[in-house]
Amino acid sequence: MKENRSVQSLDPARRRWLQALAAAPVLAGAAAAPAPARAAVKTQARIVIAGSGLGGIAVANRLARMLDGAKITIVDRKEEHNYQPGYTLVATGVWPVEKVRDRNADYLPAGVEWVKDMVADFDPAANTVITAGGQRIPYDFLVVAIGVQLDYAQIEGMDVGAIGTDKAPGLTSVYPSPQAAQATWAAMQAFTAKGGNAVMTLPATPLKCAGAPLKMSFMLRDRLFKAGTLGSSKISFQSALGNVFGVKVVNDNVLERWKSLGIDVEFTRKLAAIDIGARRATFVSPEGEKQEMPYDFIHVVPPMRAPDAVKNSDLAWKEGPFAAGGWLEVDKSTLQHRRYPNVFGIGDINGTPRGKTAATVKKSAPLVAHNLVEVIAGRKADEAFDGYTSCPLITREGSAMLIEFDYEGRLTPSLPMIKPLNDGYFAWLMKYRMLKPAYMAVLKGRV
Amino acid sequence: MYEIWLVMNIVWEIALDFWPLLALGAIAWLVLMALAWRRPAAHWRSAWPMAAGVAAVAAVIGFLVVPTATRSSLQELAYWVDWANLASIALGIGAAALAFAWPAGVLWRRHIIAG
Repeated sequence: MKENRSVQSLDPARRRWLQALAAAPVLAGAAAAPAPARAAVKTQARIVIAGSGLGGIAVANRLARMLDGAKITIVDRKEEHNYQPGYTLVATGVWPVEKVRDRNADYLPAGVEWVKDMVADFDPAANTVITAGGQRIPYDFLVVAIGVQLDYAQIEGMDVGAIGTDKAPGLTSVYPSPQAAQATWAAMQAFTAKGGNAVMTLPATPLKCAGAPLKMSFMLRDRLFKAGTLGSSKISFQSALGNVFGVKVVNDNVLERWKSLGIDVEFTRKLAAIDIGARRATFVSPEGEKQEMPYDFIHVVPPMRAPDAVKNSDLAWKEGPFAAGGWLEVDKSTLQHRRYPNVFGIGDINGTPRGKTAATVKKSAPLVAHNLVEVIAGRKADEAFDGYTSCPLITREGSAMLIEFDYEGRLTPSLPMIKPLNDGYFAWLMKYRMLKPAYMAVLKGRV
Repeated sequence: MYEIWLVMNIVWEIALDFWPLLALGAIAWLVLMALAWRRPAAHWRSAWPMAAGVAAVAAVIGFLVVPTATRSSLQELAYWVDWANLASIALGIGAAALAFAWPAGVLWRRHIIAG
């Protein structure tokens, strides 16, 4: 009785951690021996997966194991697989670019047909995907995993191809590609050698990896400090929103840190235009007031929206907060389409309150695969997603915060002893060395 | 539960990156163990202090070097979770050193005694 009372008096998080510790030897033994495979569901369903990013391939690997007889087709022209969470490490000189480049072919499961073409349109009424090459691919079930459209076109004068070229000195953006991340690091090195005026931007749309603009700011400040040019430099963060991060406690923590680091922040200022030759950026306020800012270094974060294939289709939200971006209309719990029950969404394309990160896919890929198999078997999608996402927020080289949260913006650390708002070595080590292996395990459909 | 499975997968994926090196290490260890076991009157107990000393030195070196090798520094150890993780890594390095140093110590002592 006494023991029971003492266990019950532990707080739930601590109890959960102790239970996990107690189960560790059992689990270690289970992993050493091959786990008995759960019986695959027999079906002749035609399943199309649109997109071969982390979400698409992770779900393909899971479905290939969970279904027996299904015809699975994955549609994407892209042959290179990029570890996008590593772009900020490449762009700040921590990783070489090779670490974020891989091949999709190495991770697709056997027996899956790969249509190397882009999805141009969805016709959910006819259960058909139409490719840019004009191919019509019928399906019984569809998984939409086509990510986001980086809408640089909304910024007048912006030229993504000019990043890292002499045509646009100081122009950087971590988002578009490994090459852009590499060019961003080259520009950062050139800038930090002399110092000057740095402008960091944040648009008002939902973002994939919403922590990336913050990491770039922290790291730029660290690089200036280490180069000895911080004193002759100014970093100004221009947010189009009323904050810099969607989770209030994190937002407040970052703003406090930036205040002590000397990073200025201005709110409700949207990057509207850029003169990449003259190095001048134009920001507009909600009232339409324009202000020009000269820069020596600028980090451009593009507005983001759903790719046209979803945005212009009947799969997109028609009203509500996700309609403007044309995001996929899924139920935020089951990730099943709200009007087409044979359609599921995974990853950045989903019109859900938060979570456009690899960590979101890590937690939602098993759920999407499970719920889809349930629907194929004639049952209801019965697993619910809490919106888990994670952001290892680098505060300088060698230190980071490991922030995990859910749809409601509640901090939900996976391990109860982690203090999300403390920056330190463990979170850095996770980002630097452990999260890519975790990503690979997700990609292969194992975790 | 999930986190433990995740950590096991992370370790597995890291090992995949270094599998030729790990395979060579495993073969070298097996050869070392086989040689040590085959020696008549092998002095395992008397080889222990030296092996433990080597393991301790390796663990200390690991503790000091790993942060720098991962582009950080000891100054970034902010709270007990950081210290515990680095200590775990250092212990792992020490254990690996012990696995090699102990049979090597047996062989070395045999060599000294025979000499």
